[in-house]
Amino acid sequence: MADFDVIVVGSGMSGGWVAKELCEQGFKVGVIERGRAITPAEDYTDFVDPWTTEHLNRKSDKDREDYPIQSTVYAFQTYTRQFWVKDKEHPYETADGTDFTWLRGYHEGGKSIMWARQSYRLSAIDFEANKKDGHGIDWPVRYDDIAPWYDYVERFAGISGSKEGLDILPDGIFQPPHDLTCAEIDFKNKIEATFPGRKVIPGRVANLTEPTEEQMALGRGRCQARNHCYQGCSFGAYFSSKSATLPAAQGTGNMTLIPNTAVHKLILDEATGQATGVEAVDVETGEGKRITSRAVFLNAGTIPTTMILLNSATTNAPNGLANSSGQLGKNVMDHHSGARGYATLPGHLDRHFFGRRPNGFYIPRFRNHTEEGDGFVRGYGYQGGAMRGNWSSVGYRKGIGADLKAAASTPGPWQISMIAFGEVLPNEKNHIRLHPTKTDKWGFPVPVMDVAWGENERAMVRRAIKDTRAMLEAAGGINIQTDDPDTAEPAPPGIGIHEMGTARMGHDPSNSVLNKWNQSWDIPNLFITDGSFMTSAGCQNPSLTYMAFSARAANHAAELLKTGQIG
Amino acid sequence: MDQFNPQRRQVFQALIALSAVGGLSACGSESQSNEPRLAQAAAPGYFTNSEMALISAFSQTLIPQTETAGAAQVGVPAIIQSLATDWGDDAYRIYWREGLAALGPALTSQTEESFLAQSSSVRNQVLATYDEQVFSGAIENQFYRDFKNTVVQAYFRTETGATEELAYEPVPGEWIGCVPLSEFPKTWAT
Repeated sequence: MADFDVIVVGSGMSGGWVAKELCEQGFKVGVIERGRAITPAEDYTDFVDPWTTEHLNRKSDKDREDYPIQSTVYAFQTYTRQFWVKDKEHPYETADGTDFTWLRGYHEGGKSIMWARQSYRLSAIDFEANKKDGHGIDWPVRYDDIAPWYDYVERFAGISGSKEGLDILPDGIFQPPHDLTCAEIDFKNKIEATFPGRKVIPGRVANLTEPTEEQMALGRGRCQARNHCYQGCSFGAYFSSKSATLPAAQGTGNMTLIPNTAVHKLILDEATGQATGVEAVDVETGEGKRITSRAVFLNAGTIPTTMILLNSATTNAPNGLANSSGQLGKNVMDHHSGARGYATLPGHLDRHFFGRRPNGFYIPRFRNHTEEGDGFVRGYGYQGGAMRGNWSSVGYRKGIGADLKAAASTPGPWQISMIAFGEVLPNEKNHIRLHPTKTDKWGFPVPVMDVAWGENERAMVRRAIKDTRAMLEAAGGINIQTDDPDTAEPAPPGIGIHEMGTARMGHDPSNSVLNKWNQSWDIPNLFITDGSFMTSAGCQNPSLTYMAFSARAANHAAELLKTGQIG
Repeated sequence: MDQFNPQRRQVFQALIALSAVGGLSACGSESQSNEPRLAQAAAPGYFTNSEMALISAFSQTLIPQTETAGAAQVGVPAIIQSLATDWGDDAYRIYWREGLAALGPALTSQTEESFLAQSSSVRNQVLATYDEQVFSGAIENQFYRDFKNTVVQAYFRTETGATEELAYEPVPGEWIGCVPLSEFPKTWAT
């Protein structure tokens, strides 16, 4: 008798969904989390006032020493450091001549606690892209296959947004959108008039603007417009697995959370060809564990999931389990970011805004869609916002005394900022491998990231800078700042925090790790629904897609378990 | 949930205004004895008493009492003391010590009065002139810029700076993208 019907490795964005779906279908689920359990009353810091933060909320030398990589992320603050790993305890390597910024948190909820909550569907165009231009392999699913699951997860998670009728960015089940600011409305009007193929829309974000009864029954409330999301939300107003999927799973009585337990191997029964559980270690005591189940879902995050399988090599599978295709660990993708632009938008000085929007505007992809590319395939979308200048700039300007105070308390002109996120092509050269000798403090091999962007990504970001500048000019912006489009490089891999693609889905077991149900070709009771499964990246923020595929795969696995086809 | 209600906003702002007036009268009655009280309030730490006196005088001149309290009155010097004592490294501390040592003489008045000996109106004139020279490029002094910015960052993060001088809403409750400035005339603190 196995310990559980299903083991889910990882309690974050995707693992929470798998746990919820399977628990609701009556399966006993063990959710193994390598980090600690979260207690909102202790871990969330969303009621910190500016005057109660020490040292002007400046990162300390110790922060930079303990978190040299994590402290560079925008969401790392003196009162959010508890959600980021101490880099020294979790080493990784990068191949010579490459760079990779691995940003992560090990705790119940994973990155769903600190994510930026932007939630966009991939489109039919995205699912057909590889087939059309020949990069990577064809997705084994099409938009129509996943659309009902997008509906399903949006209804439960709660996504705010506006219906726009765009084929490049399909509409979903939305709660009311966040207003654009007065300056953003002006920007939108000018951009859409100047560039008829472009749209400026409210960002689609996983914050509740009109919670449903189902959401309120889970203890979730309406977004209070505080924009303290990275500190955790005591109102449960943004989607995290901690606020939504895990409580739903817990409510069935079928879920067991196993915290502080790092899985390092999948256990395979060579006779049946099926997984029988995992080997893990208690990260606090170092004690080894074997936890067994009828099926296993890997949702540890793209890099850890890949490492578990690479580290599970056997005599018959010397390159790692679920890797008969040789594709495991390859095709690392992220979203390259860059093409930042800033400008002052004149006018609207008699208008202001109220509250703190945890969101901004979005410009869906237009290159290689409504407008031609420029020496590259695929495209990019923009996130941005236009707000009135705040008090902090007065410290950098001339003026003292009562004049300084008056300048600080008077809202400054409208300032717009925007940044492009671009699609990265699948490329087998971009891969993760086990370090041959180096191990972490638990004795497990550390990953070596060997990832570099290519000409397509470079051409894309350079075109995006030109587009940024053109849009800021069309909007009447002054003091426009962008990078130099002739020399700019895309941000290094990892910075997008959307690492994905190392166990891709496909039509054919010879060149893909997973079938169209996120199910291993090699091990039929093994499923992977974190970012590893992505066959291409799109340019949209991917978490909503992970949620939809997780729910779909979990329901498929439930059928296979019920009918005895696996486990 | 509550819908946005302009009347509720106006009532709230009226309350804020009343509390600001109350604060003004309380501060006003103490204004003659501000500096000795502030010097005593400074926490022990890296900076010496004389350095703290300069930090205090500089802060209060940069952000003086108006309808709301000034920087030294709300504890900005103690925040700077804590930055040097508990947060910064040796290089940071030395940077500040050397910067303060050079800044003091630079703020001497035309009548050769030290900054600390000057009346508040003279300090205001001296600092305004110096500030203009730095930001016009006539004087190169990065420490001055950092000092000024630190005082600004500290002041508007204090409860007084955030809630009285600026508008602070810990829990706005809702987001409204476009409202008349006349209803919300102040910069948001956060």
